[in-house]
Amino acid sequence: MYGFEALNFNVDGGYLEAIVRGYKAGLLTTADYNNLCQCEHLDDIKMHLGASDYAPYLANEPSPLHTSAIVEKCTQKLVDDYNHMLSQATEPLSTFLEYITYGHMIDNVVLIVTGSLHERDVHELLEKCHPLGMFDSIATLAVAQNMRELYRLVLVDTPLAPYFSECITSEDLDEMNIEVMRNTLYKAYLEDFYRFCKKLGGATSTIMCDLLAFEADRRAINITINSIGTELTRDDRKKLYSNFGILYPYGHDELSVCEDFDQVRGAMEKYPAYQGIFAKLSFGESQMLDKAFYEEEVKRLTLTFEQQFHYAVFFAYMRLGEQEVRNLMWISECVAQQQKSRIHDGVVMIF
Amino acid sequence: MSGSGQRLNVVPTITTMGVVKARLVGATKGHQLLKKKSDALTMQFRQILKKIVQAKEEMGEIMKASAFALTEAKYTAGDNIKYIVFENVDTAIIKVRARQENVAGVKLPKFEHFSEAGETKNDLTGLARGGQQIQLCKSAFVKAVEILVELASLQTSFLTLDEAIKTTNRRVNALENVVKPRLENTIQYIKGELDELEREEFFRLKKVQAYKKKEVEKQIAKNKLLLEEESRKDAGHKVDRDGIIGEQEDEDILF
Repeated sequence: MYGFEALNFNVDGGYLEAIVRGYKAGLLTTADYNNLCQCEHLDDIKMHLGASDYAPYLANEPSPLHTSAIVEKCTQKLVDDYNHMLSQATEPLSTFLEYITYGHMIDNVVLIVTGSLHERDVHELLEKCHPLGMFDSIATLAVAQNMRELYRLVLVDTPLAPYFSECITSEDLDEMNIEVMRNTLYKAYLEDFYRFCKKLGGATSTIMCDLLAFEADRRAINITINSIGTELTRDDRKKLYSNFGILYPYGHDELSVCEDFDQVRGAMEKYPAYQGIFAKLSFGESQMLDKAFYEEEVKRLTLTFEQQFHYAVFFAYMRLGEQEVRNLMWISECVAQQQKSRIHDGVVMIF
Repeated sequence: MSGSGQRLNVVPTITTMGVVKARLVGATKGHQLLKKKSDALTMQFRQILKKIVQAKEEMGEIMKASAFALTEAKYTAGDNIKYIVFENVDTAIIKVRARQENVAGVKLPKFEHFSEAGETKNDLTGLARGGQQIQLCKSAFVKAVEILVELASLQTSFLTLDEAIKTTNRRVNALENVVKPRLENTIQYIKGELDELEREEFFRLKKVQAYKKKEVEKQIAKNKLLLEEESRKDAGHKVDRDGIIGEQEDEDILF
């Protein structure tokens, strides 16, 4: 199959691939970021963004601008782009696009469930959900009194249903810590997405499986580091690692016995890709690991645009859009809090 | 205030003067003690003021650092991290206890924070990304809460001390300008009245003496008159009596 996509990809996907490449061209460049970093006030940022694709979204904001408003409007643009693409897509591209948002859906579901367990108001919770992860029956989640009911009444109809049934029996649902539940669901989602991409075949499957493998490994490393010193047992930790990726299975074995950051670094020495990331950090320092991962991810995502006739560009665009919103949030907060010296610690240049 | 013309309405006797004098002594002693209390309180007040200024500056720094730690956490763990943490919260981990401290006689409230043991529920937040930043953010805000509690404690003591100083000063001024003058005036009045009574007494005594003297003189004059009258009468009788008995000397009767 690989190699013949050029023949019939454009029939179904050509228009949308062109659209997404157009969106990608509107992402902010290094020069734009440098300009933004020079701003003194949030109004200057708004002015600079007025020359970018965000202009129609930020134009109507009233003058005492707040960083959360900037973030909200930029996310709104991303959501609008996504919805535009989704409405034009046919199978299997539409399923692919939906898969991209399941991660946010999982976050929203977990948020609403914890909120209702602590008896908060449903409408407030709905406002706090991520817009990319909304689905129709989300408001009914608040009705459920405990996890079993939750599954029986509500989740069965959502696309997240198979993740709940695969990985969690009903006793686990009640007692499991929220974070563990979230990560178990995410693991099931990643594995499902991986299988789906593999089924699609061709360039899509090669590139996407690569990207998803990186995501799975990155999560495994993060889970390991963040669970050092907490009450998460080694077995539980191992259960949260996905069953694909470069680190599967031997890397996971090593990671699950790590008790300390430097042991993790030692375990990663054998995998050149990740060893490169850890080499950027000096001994004992672990704060900038997240940023190093973001940089690596952005590098891999931009590489997907070098090839044509595959769906990975859509995934890449969504992820790059999220990174851009993150960058803008960081820049706005630094400017608003007068911490200009730290501004370059958080910006990951995309192009 | 009607100034120093006031005095208490008392019966101006020696006993009441004793009583009022005792009260004056009490008022003077009280005035001195209250003045000392006011000075001590003012000193404490100034110390607390200095501490407040320091704490406020420190708080500015710490709040800035914590806000930035929150931004870092939002960067790595996603923008929704705020809501995720909010919704996951059950009971407070850091709680505040209020105590009372006695400073120069004034009960000042003092707050101190303590944390409930055994709350590891939120340690797994951000497990897949950003966990470290979240923990850093958590410790930054814990520090911010600590200094906020201290600042709250200092500010309430400040206000309470302010009230106490005002009341004490009011009392000092009242004693100095109202009570003592009143008592002193009362004493003066009583003294005045007693002196006047004494003078009256003296005067009365003198008058009575004069009267008595007059009486005595009158009596003497009266006696004199009587005597003169008698002597005149006596003079008449004296002749008759001389004929019969007069200058005859009886011969002794000899048998």
